[in-house]
Amino acid sequence: MPKIFIDDRAVEAAQGQTVLRAAESAGIPIPHFCYHPAFAPEGSCRMCLIEIEGIPKLELACSTVVREGLKVQTKSPKVVEARKGVLEFLLAEHPLDCPICDKAGECKLQDYFEEYGLFRSQFKESKEKREKKFKLGRNLILDRERCILCTRCVRFLNEITKTEDAGILNRGIHSEVGIFESEFIASNYSGNLAQICPVGAITDSDFRFRTRVWFLESRESVCPLCSRGCNIIIDSHPGFPRLPRGRRVYRIRARWNPDVNSHWICDHGRYGYAYLDEGRQDRLVWKKGSRDTGLSWDKAAGILSGKIQGLMLRGKSQRIGVILNPNLTNEELFLADRLFRKGLGIEKIYGAGPAPEKGDDFLLTADRAANSRGLREICPAVRAPEPKDLAELDLLLLFGHHLGAAERSADLLKALEKVEVKALFVSHRSALDDFVDFVIPVPAIAEKSGSLTNIDGRAQPFSAGLAFEGDGLPEWKALLDLAKELNVDHRYFWPLDSPAAVFRVLQEEIPFFK
Amino acid sequence: MDEKVLTRHFGVEGLFRIEVYRGLGGYKAVEKALKEMSPSAVLEEVKKASLRGRGGAGFPAGMKWGFVPQNVPKPRYLCVNADEGEPGTFKDRYIMSHNPHLLLEGTIIASYAVGIRSAFIYIRGEYEAVALRLEAAIAEAYKAGYLGDKILGTDFGLDVVVHRGAGAYICGEETALLESLEGKRGHPRLKPPFPASVGLFQCPTVINNVETLSNVPSIVQEGADAFIKKGLPKDGGTRVFGVSGMVKRPGIYELPLGTKLRTIIFDHAGGMKDGKELKAVIPGGMSAPILTADEIDLAMDFDSLAGAGSMLGSAAVIVIDKETSTLDVLKAVAKFYSHESCGQCTPCRIGTSWIHKIVKRLAGGEGEPDDIDTIIRLAGNIKGKTLCPLGDAAALPILSICRKFRSELEGYIPHA
Repeated sequence: MPKIFIDDRAVEAAQGQTVLRAAESAGIPIPHFCYHPAFAPEGSCRMCLIEIEGIPKLELACSTVVREGLKVQTKSPKVVEARKGVLEFLLAEHPLDCPICDKAGECKLQDYFEEYGLFRSQFKESKEKREKKFKLGRNLILDRERCILCTRCVRFLNEITKTEDAGILNRGIHSEVGIFESEFIASNYSGNLAQICPVGAITDSDFRFRTRVWFLESRESVCPLCSRGCNIIIDSHPGFPRLPRGRRVYRIRARWNPDVNSHWICDHGRYGYAYLDEGRQDRLVWKKGSRDTGLSWDKAAGILSGKIQGLMLRGKSQRIGVILNPNLTNEELFLADRLFRKGLGIEKIYGAGPAPEKGDDFLLTADRAANSRGLREICPAVRAPEPKDLAELDLLLLFGHHLGAAERSADLLKALEKVEVKALFVSHRSALDDFVDFVIPVPAIAEKSGSLTNIDGRAQPFSAGLAFEGDGLPEWKALLDLAKELNVDHRYFWPLDSPAAVFRVLQEEIPFFK
Repeated sequence: MDEKVLTRHFGVEGLFRIEVYRGLGGYKAVEKALKEMSPSAVLEEVKKASLRGRGGAGFPAGMKWGFVPQNVPKPRYLCVNADEGEPGTFKDRYIMSHNPHLLLEGTIIASYAVGIRSAFIYIRGEYEAVALRLEAAIAEAYKAGYLGDKILGTDFGLDVVVHRGAGAYICGEETALLESLEGKRGHPRLKPPFPASVGLFQCPTVINNVETLSNVPSIVQEGADAFIKKGLPKDGGTRVFGVSGMVKRPGIYELPLGTKLRTIIFDHAGGMKDGKELKAVIPGGMSAPILTADEIDLAMDFDSLAGAGSMLGSAAVIVIDKETSTLDVLKAVAKFYSHESCGQCTPCRIGTSWIHKIVKRLAGGEGEPDDIDTIIRLAGNIKGKTLCPLGDAAALPILSICRKFRSELEGYIPHA
């Protein structure tokens, strides 16, 4: 562990670490554009220049490796002057269109200029005219006037996707990011380019001109759209007056997790957020005969537990069925298992989820459910229901709108119709709504707390990234309410008042989660 | 003993042909090195000779060879830098077209000393005729057994390939040259690692200028002491000065290192053209800071010029007379570097272009009082802050021109 001195402060650095990273971990940020922790140092923006004792020239923090006793100055007058010089150069050829630039507010050039610059431009010449709306990829627009040629995008495509779709064309002041004439970037990871662009050069047509970043609230979450469990940030408008179910989510961004998704997410996860604001089931309904009746969850819980108790008392627990799904959290699956199987002795517990699709060899998995692994570990005995399974039931609690194998849905629906009492806990409207007696709205994963187990068996806790606005409740709460109504093992269930409390018990009881 | 090393036999009819070259004692040094000396003995002799790189930086060649690790399982490469792009420089072209076998002989000996089996001559694309001559010479050398396997019956073998550049000044920068040779865009690499350890195709690589390698046969043949005697103790041998501009006899002059600049201009190049008066000299190719007429009593060697704030560079002496406008000189320099900046790093890409824009405006009669100060400030923000030496190559001459000829330049600014 070499000991180095940054701004006269002793810092323990790791062997082979660069000055920039050592400084960052010591809480001393060094400004940079081209450096990105996922790529080899490029050293082209010249923003991270630092002073090293004994070396007359300024050196790069991004590529200088620490050695014992190294003395670095990151804020000396010489360094500050150099940074100002770089900013002055970049701004000379950068349009002053921050008021209409989507990056404004999270733009490094803007931030550093505030920190180091705020000088008047001496640039009296005319700026280079360049393409402002070059279509770089499916959702990517390149503004070549804003581009500072940090080449992060080029290096992402060379080093991460290895598709080598982009490069630098032309030379000197005419240098520009370009792609092959006939094909734009169509990789499933192209959205990352807009996120890693340090300025507003690459913008996302999905986000362009929709809002300003300072209106957004950023909350951490886990992507539920496949079983990888990439760590994400949900950017939403928190409190603007809007129509019921107006658009809340404006953007999904990747959140760094070295063990799961590094700095990246796929486009499927990035752009597939519309479901959070569209087609939501937000009214709790009791379909009594031909009429829909609104009712409270308390009432619904009472009716449902009454029916369950009635069947139990008549010794007909085998006429009760539950269908779980692999998008429930670990905590919900655990509570369902402990309540229905262990508490009530119900044997007919099934699981059904979305059909697998094509995965890729990077992050996106074929399994498009968020918690299949959790379902397998917590409820190892569940399987998809067959039509004949449903035909044997008088009461069915259905979590999610997956009934079983898609190719058997006609038969399954036919069997479902014959079940006397059917309650559906669901986040979105679907054709299934018309076949059941109770529809209980539940939050989407982004709107609740809990944990999900990803494809590699990593349980990842998360809290709500969005508020749940339907008149239902999360499944874990519904399950606890049912346990209370049914009077099942009060001493076991009553301390489980939060997903975190449930998870602690789950960890104790299921060795996989230790 | 003739004090010339490289141009000694220039003018001999058919010198570029192997039989003429051999008739004049050519390839004797290869024989001596391969048959009588060990690779390390050759290396030691070159180190002792104080042979400094002739491309511009003046780095000791022997030391450069010594950096190449001998204990790695990777192949080692030699790249001959024949991308002579520095404005004013034309010495390598003369050496290669008049005496291609001298370069080959140096290449073979250097490869032997470092344990290299493949050498590439990276030649600028415009030198097509020279490239053809080199290729003909290489074919002759293969036929005569100086190239290929088992050279002169020894276990040493070497292949030499000529590679043509595509017209970028930056590809004369050694790491950009490597990128270009690998088939990539000619962008300089971040150093370290240095090419000696991670060079061409990630393998240890020596990169030497044409003139540097062409000196090697003489060092082997006549010994390091004789070589040093031709120049200076810390700067052995001769330099091929390429004199251009307003002199009576422009051309190349091979002279001992340490020869006075005044002697080169007024004795060897015949002095100023009739009626012309000396104003300034660029002593080492366009990237060398300019010298005024008062500064020409300098000795032309690496250290003396560095001491005077300029550099020997490629030893291309550009002589400027009083009728030549300094603004035109500045414009030529600014335009060149703006055009040739590869665009990779910020200060060079935007700085050179910005300065060029100011100079163009100045030349258009629209200069403003603070323009010279701005140019000096911008050049200062390029100097020492770029990824490769091209930034300094642009900033240093611009700074020196603006500082030494400030009043003349200000004369072009209305109401300054």
